[in-house]
Amino acid sequence: MENIEALNEIFSRGRVKTDQADLIHWGTDWTRSFEVAPQAVVFPERIDELVALVKLAREYSLKLVPSGGRTGLSGGAVASNDEVIVSFDRMNQIHAFNPTDRIVGCQAGVITQRLQEYAFERGLFYPVDFASSGSSQIGGNIATNAGGIKVIRYGLTRDWVAGLTVVTGTGDIIRCNRGLVKNATGYDLRHLFIGSEGTLGFIVEAEIRLAPGPKPQRVMVLGVNELDDILNLLQCFQQHVVLTAFEFFSELALQKVTKRGDIPRPFSEPCAFYALVEFDADADEEAAIAFEEALGRGWVTTGVISQSDAQAAALWSLRENISESIAADTPYKNDLSVRISEVPGFLSDVDGIVNKHYPDLDVCWYGHIGDGNLHLNILKPESLTIDEFFERCHRIDPELFSLIEQRGGSISAEHGVGLLKRDFLPFSRSDAEIGLMRELKEVFDPSGIMNPGKLFSE
Amino acid sequence: MKVLVPVKRVVDANVKVRVKSDGTGMDLANVKMAVNPFCEIGIEEAVRLKEADIATEVIAVSVGASQCKEQLRTCLALGADRAILVETDEELEPLAIAKVLEAIYEQERPEIVIFGKQSIDSDNGQTGQMFAALTGIAQGTFASELRITDGKAEVVREIDGGLQTVLLSLPVAISTDLRLNTPRYASLPNIMKAKKKPMDVTSPGDLGVDVGARTTVLNVAPPPERAAGIKVESVDELVDKLRHEAKVIE
Ligand SMILES: Cc1cc2nc3c(=O)[nH]c(=O)nc-3n(C[C@H](O)[C@H](O)[C@H](O)COP(=O)(O)OP(=O)(O)OC[C@H]3O[C@@H](n4cnc5c(N)ncnc54)[C@H](O)[C@@H]3O)c2cc1C
Repeated sequence: MENIEALNEIFSRGRVKTDQADLIHWGTDWTRSFEVAPQAVVFPERIDELVALVKLAREYSLKLVPSGGRTGLSGGAVASNDEVIVSFDRMNQIHAFNPTDRIVGCQAGVITQRLQEYAFERGLFYPVDFASSGSSQIGGNIATNAGGIKVIRYGLTRDWVAGLTVVTGTGDIIRCNRGLVKNATGYDLRHLFIGSEGTLGFIVEAEIRLAPGPKPQRVMVLGVNELDDILNLLQCFQQHVVLTAFEFFSELALQKVTKRGDIPRPFSEPCAFYALVEFDADADEEAAIAFEEALGRGWVTTGVISQSDAQAAALWSLRENISESIAADTPYKNDLSVRISEVPGFLSDVDGIVNKHYPDLDVCWYGHIGDGNLHLNILKPESLTIDEFFERCHRIDPELFSLIEQRGGSISAEHGVGLLKRDFLPFSRSDAEIGLMRELKEVFDPSGIMNPGKLFSE
Repeated sequence: MKVLVPVKRVVDANVKVRVKSDGTGMDLANVKMAVNPFCEIGIEEAVRLKEADIATEVIAVSVGASQCKEQLRTCLALGADRAILVETDEELEPLAIAKVLEAIYEQERPEIVIFGKQSIDSDNGQTGQMFAALTGIAQGTFASELRITDGKAEVVREIDGGLQTVLLSLPVAISTDLRLNTPRYASLPNIMKAKKKPMDVTSPGDLGVDVGARTTVLNVAPPPERAAGIKVESVDELVDKLRHEAKVIE
């Protein structure tokens, strides 16, 4: 309890919580399948408190888990080993905006959607967006290099981070890049922290670049019967239009979303797959040409187009509500990527594996296919218990991940490694690479206090 | 049986509009435009009547600038058979629109005219009623259900505190309420086909209608901004503020 007293000294005014309910709440992310056993949660408000915390942690050998909006899907923010959770909930200020630089300065705990709204109010745009942006934090987005639904046009979180202030595992404060466009002065440490999943230090503040306000958008949902055709479709559209999004989902995914009854099907004919295409509304004519061409070639069977923002939002919800709609089926989730050209071959290989071992299990496919990013979800049948089901799914992991390795893909496209994918890292990174990554961690976090056990084992 | 559906081009319902700094109107540069949602419901209802073999022809008509063709094309894609644009660059008020539509009505002689109950931009909610008065035909406004049988229209109307069912002889002017139906998406193959559907262009002058304005807009101003909330220290302070600042309690 000496620990807790010391924590209380740094985090006055009830900013240390140790109640069981609080520990469970702040110690879990979206995965909900790992054991949760932290010793405390603390809520820093200032950077010097984080520096003091790191010093304390090194002295008392405390393990620290940085925690954002806890929407992560790989257990990166899970505390299951007597750690102290460091929540950024109270570091949620947007403190600077410069219209000339088009840069916002904010603390790590700012909710992603708040930054999006802040930009919108100034006629600008923060383009990183996904279904969890109402809860995820900028710090968490940076720590996982989050992607989302507009990557095809706007890239990943990495592309919008113009500066970072971090507190390393040695307690040093470093300010990386300070919002500069050009800065050719050696290693760009900013990019080491982006995607580091809290293993090198705390992301405390960020300077985020904003894009010009987007033009009005148009959304199409298209019916496709063959997997190969989705990629033909992608190529065909990209020849004519600059796409803002190109997503796909299977008929089963659509059925899950429309089952609740509040969102109608886009059209009555069922198709094997659906592509959601988004682009600037002023490219309507070019998009119509692309559609006609695709129809002529037999790559699409039919399709609809939004006539208002409300319809665009309704069409988007067909894609964005999938994750929630299948939650009741306790899905075994995998976020995978291969090169775009490898997608159809990879998809049918995976279907092959699942069908070979588990012909009785339903597979629900969806994802950011325009980025070569696929979400594989195997749904739990009612006849199996959760443990039985996951046990069965995990048995195909090695076969699945070898397949990715053969195709030069990644076992985690945008959800990070955390606890979930830790033991499979060698399927996507060579021994030499992992060795260097461990050495880098050693430099920034010599005492091993920063999110130990995540990314690679302790 | 012909069905005529007047449609208005308006700012998309989801767009946050800004008032022009000189107070003469809204700033509509680069703003997304769409078919007025209530008119869209009108088109959907007409197309359903056609699919049920009650209507034989659905005609969409819009009064406004040349860009209204975009919205008329949408209506054609949604299932209207042909479209008429009464082109004018003037901003017309409801009475002028009603008169223009009266002239179209005389030409086309539809049995059913389906208006939106209001447009979401100017919120006047008058055109359908004025049209019914000018033409002298029956009106069933704020419809949430519509059934056509034996030359009569049974209309369930949304009224304050409940529903009212009226039985009207054709021809009839209907105005749509939100619950009448959920419009379908425009299908892309139908958009392709819609390019071949006819669209006539005429003008208030050609129709011989005087559309002169009878009202003048003096000023357009945004609603006052809401002041930010504050935290009070005690119940007494809250009561004091409610009494003396907000003046909501005695
Ligand atoms: C419905 C749904 C849809 C999703 N869609 C997408 C998607 O399309 N694309 C995508 O990329 N992700 C997606 N995700 C995953 C998730 O939302 C993102 O990974 C998000 O970036 C996580 O942010 P967070 O604040 O919730 O982080 P958390 O889950 O709290 O933490 C994630 C990791 O970041 C670390 N971390 C958090 N804050 C800090 C900090 N200040 N300093 C250092 N480390 C920190 C944590 O230790 C942990 O390792 C989705 C999740 C859900 C539930």
